[in-house]
Amino acid sequence: MRPYELSLTAAADAIRTGRLSPVELVDSVLDRVERLEPRLNAYATVTAEQARRTAREAADDAAAGRLRGPLHGIPMGLKDLIDVAGVATTASSRVRADHRAQADSTVAARLSASGAVLVGKTHTHEFAYGLTTPQTRNAWDSGRVAGGSSGGSAVAVAAGTAAFALGTDTGGSIRVPAALNGVVGLKPTYGLVPRHGVTSLSWSLDHVGPLTRTVEDQALVLAVLAGHDPRDPASLAVPAQDYRPGAAEDLTGLRVGVPRNYYFEHVDAEVEAVVRRAVDRLEALGARLVEVEIPMTRYIQATQWGLMVPEATAYHERTLRAAPELYQADVRILLEAGELMPAGDYLRAQRSRTLMRREWARMLEDVDVIAAPTVPATAVPSGQETITWPDGTVEAVSDAYVRLSAPANLTGVPSLSVPVGHDTAGLPIGMQLLGRPLGERVLLRVGHAYERTRPAREPAPAARRVH
Amino acid sequence: MSAAELTPPEAAHWAARAGLPLPAERHAAAAATANHIHAVVAVLRELDFGDTPPAPAYRAGEERHDAAV
Repeated sequence: MRPYELSLTAAADAIRTGRLSPVELVDSVLDRVERLEPRLNAYATVTAEQARRTAREAADDAAAGRLRGPLHGIPMGLKDLIDVAGVATTASSRVRADHRAQADSTVAARLSASGAVLVGKTHTHEFAYGLTTPQTRNAWDSGRVAGGSSGGSAVAVAAGTAAFALGTDTGGSIRVPAALNGVVGLKPTYGLVPRHGVTSLSWSLDHVGPLTRTVEDQALVLAVLAGHDPRDPASLAVPAQDYRPGAAEDLTGLRVGVPRNYYFEHVDAEVEAVVRRAVDRLEALGARLVEVEIPMTRYIQATQWGLMVPEATAYHERTLRAAPELYQADVRILLEAGELMPAGDYLRAQRSRTLMRREWARMLEDVDVIAAPTVPATAVPSGQETITWPDGTVEAVSDAYVRLSAPANLTGVPSLSVPVGHDTAGLPIGMQLLGRPLGERVLLRVGHAYERTRPAREPAPAARRVH
Repeated sequence: MSAAELTPPEAAHWAARAGLPLPAERHAAAAATANHIHAVVAVLRELDFGDTPPAPAYRAGEERHDAAV
């Protein structure tokens, strides 16, 4: 196995025991970047020189017995909304062409202090305002969308051009591309991971979280990211935790909620079948399946839009007036139309969120996690704009992709997307596990138990073809 | 078109009032997108909020502190 193929956990173990040097690992990943990037375009910026320099320092430290932790010498990608001092945060937009970040974001500083090595900044749908990341190609089929908005991060992790990456998630932007590229994505509890120094799409819905190849890897990254920072007004003061899931596969006593409404409606038949098989596997591990009724589903999209549209427009107020022509057409029109939303609509969405959070808390008293599809369809061909469901309903691709992930943003509950199989075209399918606020350990335990029942995942085939 | 929908000149007027003068060629698209967004968020008017406060910023875990299983 070549170094770039190792999971974060395996690479960390190899570095800790001296079987692998950070220089070998980073060189292997950078070589992979050089071969695959011309086709995948997962990165907006590759910081190769800086990465090699940091890797050498990490190797020297490792040789001297100074390991900073499990991320020591591990190559990572950061979504290009996350500030790294001295590097542009382009948000994959011409608006940010001359940008240069003055300081590290909280998450970049924490990762750097833990010894992780920056490979580069990964592409996002422009300013995270979209679900496809059109400039980046899906790691499994270069003719299909990467998903978004953290498309570059998901593709890099799937293709082996980063051992892990960070994304942001306002309506599903970590979990959607994770599902479409066959990797693991976590949207943590609102406030668990500080957003200071991260470009906002919608303050009250934005989250930062990891994309990894295994559930176990998630725990190592989350432990570094979590923790209070007063510079993010939503940041929670919670004690540090060990998120590692442990070896136990037994899920006896765990109650898994299976939605009887919403999450399996207008879902591709193959996606539904694969996710239901994965839920059955949780039952086989000892979990008890409990039917749940998802509350207030009629108001999910309305609440999401009522919050996101005016908040995004507010963030872009100055540049939308100064240089509107620099935005892509799809983002510009949404920002402009956002100027026309009355404050009354925004307040109704805020009050609806209050109701929705209460209803979800009530529902989550009866179950420990909820299992559902992450997205209702696999990756569509690039350029396809709508999905037609068997009953004749036509839905915009972006509306479909965000539909099942948005509730976790509205309610703030943690949500983990785990790869659970493929459709007949060979495209990855994700299962979403939703938990109680600050229930990340439970999600990782369940996801890990599921993962251990499956053979190790092969790398994405679109990436495998190049050697 | 319902009475609640904005015409392109009305969209231009309200955008200008919000401090965003729109060039003429954008009036129709801005009106269409604003009308679509309005149609989506308008269903929130069905809800009886009573005394429900808004949640502009919130603590995701405030209702319960026993999340661990």
